[in-house]
Amino acid sequence: MSETGQYDVVIVGAGVAGALIAKRLTGAGLKVLVLEAGPGTTRSAADYKNHLETYYAASAKGTESPWPAATAAPQPDGGDLFKDKSLPATSGYFVQKGPHLYGSTYTRTLGGSTLHWLGVSLRMLPEDFEMSSCFGLARDWPIRYETLSPYYDQAEYEMGVSADVADQRYLGLSFSGGYDYPMQRVPLSYSDRVLGAAVNGMPVNMGEESVSVQIRSYPAARNSIPRSGYQPVGALDVNAGGVPRRTYLGERCEGNTACIPICPVQARYNANKSLAQADRHHLTLKTQAVASEILVDNISQAVTAIRYKRYDDPNSTQHSEEIASGRIYILAAHAVENARLMLASGLQSQSKRVGCGLMDHPALYAWGLAPFNVGSFRGPQSTSGIEDFRAGRFRCGHAAFRFDIGNDGWHATTGAPDTTVNDAVLQQKLFGRQLRSHLNDQLSRQVRFSLAVEQLPNLKNRVTVDPSYRDKMGNPRPVIEYEIDDYTFKGMIAARNVAREVFHQAGITDCSRNSEALPFPTAEYEGEKFYYHGMGHFAGTHAMGDKAENSVVDDYQCSWEHPNLYLVGSGSFTTMGTSNPTLTLAALALRTADYIIARMAKGD
Amino acid sequence: MSIQNSRRNAFVALSAVLTGVQKVQLFGTGQTDAYLATLERILPADLLDELLGRFEALAGNDGIEAAVEPQILADTRLGALAQNIILMWYRGVWRRLPDDWRANFGSFPEDENHLISAAAYQAGLQWEIAGAHPIGARHQGYAAWCLVPERPTRRENA
Repeated sequence: MSETGQYDVVIVGAGVAGALIAKRLTGAGLKVLVLEAGPGTTRSAADYKNHLETYYAASAKGTESPWPAATAAPQPDGGDLFKDKSLPATSGYFVQKGPHLYGSTYTRTLGGSTLHWLGVSLRMLPEDFEMSSCFGLARDWPIRYETLSPYYDQAEYEMGVSADVADQRYLGLSFSGGYDYPMQRVPLSYSDRVLGAAVNGMPVNMGEESVSVQIRSYPAARNSIPRSGYQPVGALDVNAGGVPRRTYLGERCEGNTACIPICPVQARYNANKSLAQADRHHLTLKTQAVASEILVDNISQAVTAIRYKRYDDPNSTQHSEEIASGRIYILAAHAVENARLMLASGLQSQSKRVGCGLMDHPALYAWGLAPFNVGSFRGPQSTSGIEDFRAGRFRCGHAAFRFDIGNDGWHATTGAPDTTVNDAVLQQKLFGRQLRSHLNDQLSRQVRFSLAVEQLPNLKNRVTVDPSYRDKMGNPRPVIEYEIDDYTFKGMIAARNVAREVFHQAGITDCSRNSEALPFPTAEYEGEKFYYHGMGHFAGTHAMGDKAENSVVDDYQCSWEHPNLYLVGSGSFTTMGTSNPTLTLAALALRTADYIIARMAKGD
Repeated sequence: MSIQNSRRNAFVALSAVLTGVQKVQLFGTGQTDAYLATLERILPADLLDELLGRFEALAGNDGIEAAVEPQILADTRLGALAQNIILMWYRGVWRRLPDDWRANFGSFPEDENHLISAAAYQAGLQWEIAGAHPIGARHQGYAAWCLVPERPTRRENA
């Protein structure tokens, strides 16, 4: 076993949280080591292109298809969900005990899941931080929107978010005077504008309230037109062979309709863009280094080192054991991986809540045919949403929700256009000019909504480890228990009903017919079967709170028990509201970085 | 004309009728040889020649489309092959022949579902017919998604 040199800070995980913190800490002159479990094949153009070719050549173009896992650092995959006929499902990386399947995945490659995210960068609403005070549910966060607001500003600049602030002042969201996003909003698609013309302002009853529907541009971490003075940030920073080069800025969004799973032109932010800006003189990056144990001093409870397994061949489990030590340790490995590493190290926290309170945004699809050609399958995967059901008194009774409005036809739901072609050729027996005409008509009218529904923290939904389930390196695999509760089911019903009303108003023929043929987990509520999918929004596994008894970290994401240990990421979320978690976890990470810099400056 | 050239010409002529897309556009995908090679790799030569021969016997008729339906697509043996040719051009994939077809007419070791190649994925006619581009490739450019979709010409959709 060999020991690496002494660092000021050791960070586990080079996803968005780890990258942003590494950039800020090295910028302050701190000596930082970043350990990344996966391969570092995202820093040169040649390597990135290989991932793109892997995607093109894949028969099944799922979320992880461009990002195959290393043998030593396995990851969940959408295809895992249907390998087992009964619970526990053990064929994939996760051991799923149910009763419902957790439908989301993540990537263990340099850059993490930002390699395949959509880029939606919504702020959480002020009331999302106060679910107990406002609705008598769950717990309040130990911080308020106002605390995080300046860090939201910073995160939007760090990640390069495109939006017009004038569009984003709704449901209590406020911005500091004179603030605007670093880049102009990504233009709405033609189908967004057609839909907006048909439904904007339509009233929908939600409990005792009447809600006015609006098709709205959402903030997206995709390059558009920079506002004056803003320079987009780049990702590719080495040539083949690893020699540093001037970073490539990525292109403006070119409408590849492939934010998920890979942006071919690097217009959509990924964490390598931040990592590329870290001060190289102060940063040591070790890829293919799987953290396996956190070592703690028995008396002080301070972390003394991180043990990790370093491998050379991504297709082999052959490795050497090494030790990394520093003054401060930051787990930025992912909501599931942070909890897994803590539990694998025997660190449960005083509250016994490490791993507990796992959330997602279980989501339904609604899909239909517009009355005329709306130009489907063009543009970023989506450019707009319906945000009006994210807030309201109705949250006392059921979950809030938001709609993502697709530009990608029925690709995400039925697997169109392939399935549309199959149906026309094999079922309808069409061929020739009639086939061509039919497909032109059908494909160009396809409309899709994703209805992402809020989920509250439930301590029984959790990540644990079990020595009988290990990966090929011998590291314990995440064991997941997950159940969707009535609050979320009622929200799903409300969301589905709103989708139907919007379709009706817009003259869209509702084609949302689920069947076992579609690759979605199911759950039953009041005799009805719901086909849901994960949004990749893992959260709550090391939730923050105002005291050690009911949480794992404080509001700076510092462990209550281990004074030099931070657990960062969406695992720290107390509740998650309806916004996609990346921007909020980025803002929290920047706040933590500032806190650590201040703490170390004081010699603490 | 060599056997290979005549087979290629027959294949493209048949493909144009089956897909409703002109021969010159099919050639423009750059996939003609790859798709013919796929057929040759998976199917016995006599079966492929029978399909192409059946088509050539119909060629020259003004109502070729009307003739292809009963003579080829409705044929219990040749119909599935013709459908697979359509799927190749539209999607870039080979579809495993149906189980009852395999039971009646033979099973071939390479007759399995697969994407023919990364290039075939991008060349699938389905994208252009939709007025779109293959997901993840051949992007249309910044803000092109705002443009009003163009209606297909009457000739194309006749």
